[in-house]
Amino acid sequence: MKSRRKLIVTILVCGGLAALAYFSWMLPFYEFDVNDYDVSFEKLFSAEYLRTLVPLFIIAALSAVGIVLVVKLRKQMVKSDRRYSRFADAHTSKQSGRAPKQKPALFMIVRRTVMVVSAVVLIWGGLIFGLKMSSLSLPLLSCPWNSEEMTASSCYYLSHLNELFQLPIKKILLFVGSTAASVILLGRAVCGFICPMGLIQDVMDRLRRRTKTEGIAANEKLYAALTPIKWTLVLVFAGLCFAGGNFCNFCPMVSVSPILAGISTSLYVSGFLMIFVLIGSFFKRRLFCSVCPVGYMVGLFHKVSLFRVKKDCTACTECGACYEACPMGIKQIYTERGKADVTDANCIMCGECVRCCPEDNALSLTFAGAKIYSSSRKKLMSGCEPAEKVRR
Amino acid sequence: MLTTAREQERKARQDRRFVSKETQTAAKYLRRIRELSGAPDGFDTFIDTLGRVYVDMKGADVPQGQKTIGTYCVMVPQELVYAAGAVPVKLCSGNYTAFSVGDDIAPRDACPLVKAVAGFRQTGLMPVYEDCSMMVVPITCDCKKKIAGMLGDRCEVVTMHIPAERGDDEIDRFTEQLYDLTARLEDVTGNRVTYSSLAEGFRRVGRAQYELSEFIRLKKQLPCLIRGTHAMTIMNAAAYMTADKWSEALHRVNSDLRKRAESKKTVTGRKLPRILLTGSPIVFPNMKIPLLIEEMGGIVAGDETCMGERGMYDPPVITDESFDGMMRSLANRSLRPCPCPTFADNSQRIYRLKQLIADNQIQGVIYHVLRGCLVYDFEYRLIEEELGRLGIPVIRLESDYNEEDVEQLRIRIEAFIELIKLGQAPEKRTAPRTGF
Repeated sequence: MKSRRKLIVTILVCGGLAALAYFSWMLPFYEFDVNDYDVSFEKLFSAEYLRTLVPLFIIAALSAVGIVLVVKLRKQMVKSDRRYSRFADAHTSKQSGRAPKQKPALFMIVRRTVMVVSAVVLIWGGLIFGLKMSSLSLPLLSCPWNSEEMTASSCYYLSHLNELFQLPIKKILLFVGSTAASVILLGRAVCGFICPMGLIQDVMDRLRRRTKTEGIAANEKLYAALTPIKWTLVLVFAGLCFAGGNFCNFCPMVSVSPILAGISTSLYVSGFLMIFVLIGSFFKRRLFCSVCPVGYMVGLFHKVSLFRVKKDCTACTECGACYEACPMGIKQIYTERGKADVTDANCIMCGECVRCCPEDNALSLTFAGAKIYSSSRKKLMSGCEPAEKVRR
Repeated sequence: MLTTAREQERKARQDRRFVSKETQTAAKYLRRIRELSGAPDGFDTFIDTLGRVYVDMKGADVPQGQKTIGTYCVMVPQELVYAAGAVPVKLCSGNYTAFSVGDDIAPRDACPLVKAVAGFRQTGLMPVYEDCSMMVVPITCDCKKKIAGMLGDRCEVVTMHIPAERGDDEIDRFTEQLYDLTARLEDVTGNRVTYSSLAEGFRRVGRAQYELSEFIRLKKQLPCLIRGTHAMTIMNAAAYMTADKWSEALHRVNSDLRKRAESKKTVTGRKLPRILLTGSPIVFPNMKIPLLIEEMGGIVAGDETCMGERGMYDPPVITDESFDGMMRSLANRSLRPCPCPTFADNSQRIYRLKQLIADNQIQGVIYHVLRGCLVYDFEYRLIEEELGRLGIPVIRLESDYNEEDVEQLRIRIEAFIELIKLGQAPEKRTAPRTGF
């Protein structure tokens, strides 16, 4: 009975999503009088730029309101709960204490820097450096409406397959070649290192950690619920063009990248979705990545990509810290007891599992066989190191 | 009136006898530990702590005005107790005298650890037990469940349900239990557990765990820098010291071990047979097995017992810096990495043992079983099979909390050590002795 109700709810949600995607052009979020695709450096510093940013401000404001509402609502729920009510005040961010925190690893610094740089390049790159690599495509969710992208992103032609085959053969080859090359070279590391959508979600997650707001803990049920949504999105993503729709009206990224580049483009359902993505990724790290159709497609080829997560199964104590830390909820990383290679289709190579692993060399990230980041207890415990140095 | 006076007199005589026997045994074991060569600098602090509790019969050294909370398992997060402004003491007992008292109270097949606890409860003479404002008993086995009930008439007792699995739902439920425990702790101490105090609790225990992981890293060196009995004494002393004092003292030991490593001053020059001790908890003063191993010419190079290194080995990993995230990390730490045989599927213990064997180049494993400790006894077969595949000899030593079986144990341990020595290349055995 329960599973039946679950099935009906799932079908309704997925059907609703598909319908929303199909009729997305009918639901405007913000419409400009004239869509202006001209961009220049001067425009970025003019008052006009502020006008193009208006939908972004609306999205940010609405998301902030949403987050505050959710936090307030949860606090209300906590206060009325018999067990948790007495701890309602312990949750407040006014507390000055800080939980011990490990020193940032080089890998993490590099990853964050790469993310920021690539986001800048993918949004304003054309303006800064000129459009030199625009015939290459990376499988990202950075919006190709933004004509100033440094490299094109494959998502446009992947979601408009009918248009892809009308291109000249040279362009098709370049598109397929560059996409395939990055899939093999990087795999889903593009999600963890390059994708601007990932950066936005990481920033939201950081905001949550700073405010010491509690998030949604790793839970199999959550991921089980997200899976059908992911498949629906994949179907919609690849099939909408054949049914006469346009995925771009639905894609949340349209509401960020082009607008930041100074392009005023009317937003449809994507604006609403972006609010959901921002609120969702505030509470659940990389929520959208769990349902991202592009990421899913890249993940299909995880067996051939050069980035790998390796595990020393004897050293593992099954403490589950990697699973708790994993933004994608990959459970086999700690339950695996035989294989040395634990790379999963969902793994975005963010290195969180390695950072949180307390066992020396139990987990490591490798690129083409070379270890680039290994777990270490000393690094994990660096927040608890005694202040004074050892006298010799 | 007369009978009561006589009874009182009898009781007083019994008490005196208990105290004198108890202090004598404890002093004897402390002396034997002290007589072992190669104690590191700063080791006396730990000996003094154990002496203070068992010989001088004083309570644990607790800062003024703070209450002590008794815990009966490593699954009770010490961080929470510190966050509530109290000090945790581990009360799992290894006391022979208390065991003989408890033997009459508990059923024959109950494990000696629980019998000893029952004995202390019966006599009411041990300050560490009597000082406790509350006791937390995780129900890891049937004996613990019943002892929790027995302790309840003397002191406030909180039981914690330990699930048989370690899935997501179990972690959620255990987190709820930790909230309940926190509420009880707050009621007892009168302090509130806030984000700051919990973070402070994490920092204090984390500091101790940092020193411990340094200690374990240094201990891995070959030939050994420290004897296993000394290491186990250090771990046992942690039960009655605050995390701050313990980590400070261990810091001194660590810097001494570092000096030893630099000057290549090892505890024994010869390559002694390296033995891993695993199985039921080994609690002071029941140190006869590690002492016998080292007196018979072996060295306890690794221990996988819950009063030993395992107890504080796993750090809580905070993946979410909120109050709830910290509570969850404690629940996660308590259940998931714990190789306690109370869990239905405990195959991870075999991996832990294999890792210890590889890290410390173990040559033989002694599987210690306390009489009546069923869960550990159950796992012996599986571990024997697995280690047999690695070619590591294993023996099962069953013992009780008395000294009647010492000679038997001595013969078996001696034979086991001889067996390992026979397996070694002969030139290694006769290398000249350096250092101490």
